[in-house]
Amino acid sequence: MRRTAVAAILQRRRQRSAWRFVALLALATGLWLTLQYLDVRLERFGTLFDRLGLLFATRYYPPDFDYILQPRFLRSVLETIHMALLATLAGLLLAVPLAWLAAFNASPLPAAGKAAARVVITGARAIHEMIWAIVFIMVLGYGVLAGVLALTLGCLGFAGKLFAEEIESIDEAPVEAMRAAGAGPVAVFLFGVLPQVRTAFIGIGIYTWDVVFRSATVVGFFGAGGMGWYLRRTADQLQSDRVAAIILLIAALVVVSEVISHHARSALEGRTDRRLLAR
Amino acid sequence: MSVAAPVPSPNAPALARWQRARRLGHITLLVVMALLAGLAVWAVQGSLIPGTDWRRMEGLGGIVTAFGRFLPPDLSLVPTLFAPALQTILIAVVGTLLGALMSFPVALLGAANLRPLGMPGYLLARGLMTMSRSIHEIVWALIFVSAVGLGAFAGILALACRSIGFVSKLLAEAIERIDLRPVEALRAQGAGPLDMVRHGIIPQLLPIGLGTLIFEWDINVNRAAVLGLVGAGGLGLSFHNQLIASNYAGVTTVLLAILAIILVGEAISVRLRRRIV
Repeated sequence: MRRTAVAAILQRRRQRSAWRFVALLALATGLWLTLQYLDVRLERFGTLFDRLGLLFATRYYPPDFDYILQPRFLRSVLETIHMALLATLAGLLLAVPLAWLAAFNASPLPAAGKAAARVVITGARAIHEMIWAIVFIMVLGYGVLAGVLALTLGCLGFAGKLFAEEIESIDEAPVEAMRAAGAGPVAVFLFGVLPQVRTAFIGIGIYTWDVVFRSATVVGFFGAGGMGWYLRRTADQLQSDRVAAIILLIAALVVVSEVISHHARSALEGRTDRRLLAR
Repeated sequence: MSVAAPVPSPNAPALARWQRARRLGHITLLVVMALLAGLAVWAVQGSLIPGTDWRRMEGLGGIVTAFGRFLPPDLSLVPTLFAPALQTILIAVVGTLLGALMSFPVALLGAANLRPLGMPGYLLARGLMTMSRSIHEIVWALIFVSAVGLGAFAGILALACRSIGFVSKLLAEAIERIDLRPVEALRAQGAGPLDMVRHGIIPQLLPIGLGTLIFEWDINVNRAAVLGLVGAGGLGLSFHNQLIASNYAGVTTVLLAILAIILVGEAISVRLRRRIV
């Protein structure tokens, strides 16, 4: 009896490891085929670190800090901050009503309207803000406006989804009570829904600022305003020491912005959500 | 249901305090609003008005005409987009896998409860996480294109480096929450560090790790579609080609293709994560 039980366990274990082996083999084969298809030369991986080391040592180092201290460049940094500010404000102002219209539990619209609001949010999120920037440049011409609109859409997509999720997880009781008392949809939103999600919304809004600011530093890459344009120009002209200085400045600005918003959030004691760190 | 007793009227000082708090709240709200509005005006006057080429738009009519060129989408392009779409998806898959591979050691070093290499290792890992997140994927791609040349490889490396920040941060948080007793038990039996990681830590991380990975892949499809613009292949390259050829209808088609693969990717991601978590 005992021996058969042990045998059965051993049998099962052998089967499982056999399956695991097959799965691993399939995964490895798939990966190999993928690398072949994408024309990835793995032999370059061996020299990658040498090349990167050489590249950083000879071309990116030392960073040309004089370049980023020019008034012209500093002006573009200010422009970047302006763009991020406008886009965050506009995006959040649009995201709140859209999230309300898209939330399945609180929306005043019929099913088709909810779906339409959701499509706007998802579409804004699905297309990268860099691509939005190019599209707006083609329609509106080069400049800050194209960048602000692209970032606004990015912000709308990012914050709208989180806002809608937040609204969908509220306590329904106050909403039901207000409806039963005859309150209209706007009143229900302002006094039944908004008080429950206000803190979370502010937290999400601050997170969104971080995300938008990070995008704003490069959204000008194709001519949509801000410091991204200088990144493009120096990279195209292989002025790697200037590229290095710009990258370091971006990293520093992002860290400063994140420290500020981290403090703002802890002061708020809002809900933090791990998903928000994405992008 | 009836209210058993009438609600006692609040005493006067409490009411006054409540009213004061309420007024304070209103004032705070007004101040914040005014501050934000001031910032917006500053940004509009400082950058938006001088930094935009308003004459180029030629009024509303010009904008409508410019927009009209994008419609209707050029559907003859669709058969040529399957290969680039597959490339974009695969770049995202391999980039995410490579990123996960690199994230694991970073997460181990950066987990506050383990710190296998002490404070220096912890600070190094946290620094890497911040660096990875604060550098945009386009910039990562620029760096790797200059190191390994044009092509999917540069895109894969860029996505991997961009992914480290988010994935290792979540993994580190997960490690900080694990049950350390199995690890202790393994150490008590004389297991080496690799065995402790393999049998003590990894099994506990598997579900959350897989969930994070799928979520990150979803985002990476979005990023991969853009990397083609700086030379990493895929749908971004198709977009760029249509753009250079001024084929605006074709641009719309590529946009729709990007939208399609991202929506499909998101649907897959949501379904898979629901099954795991």
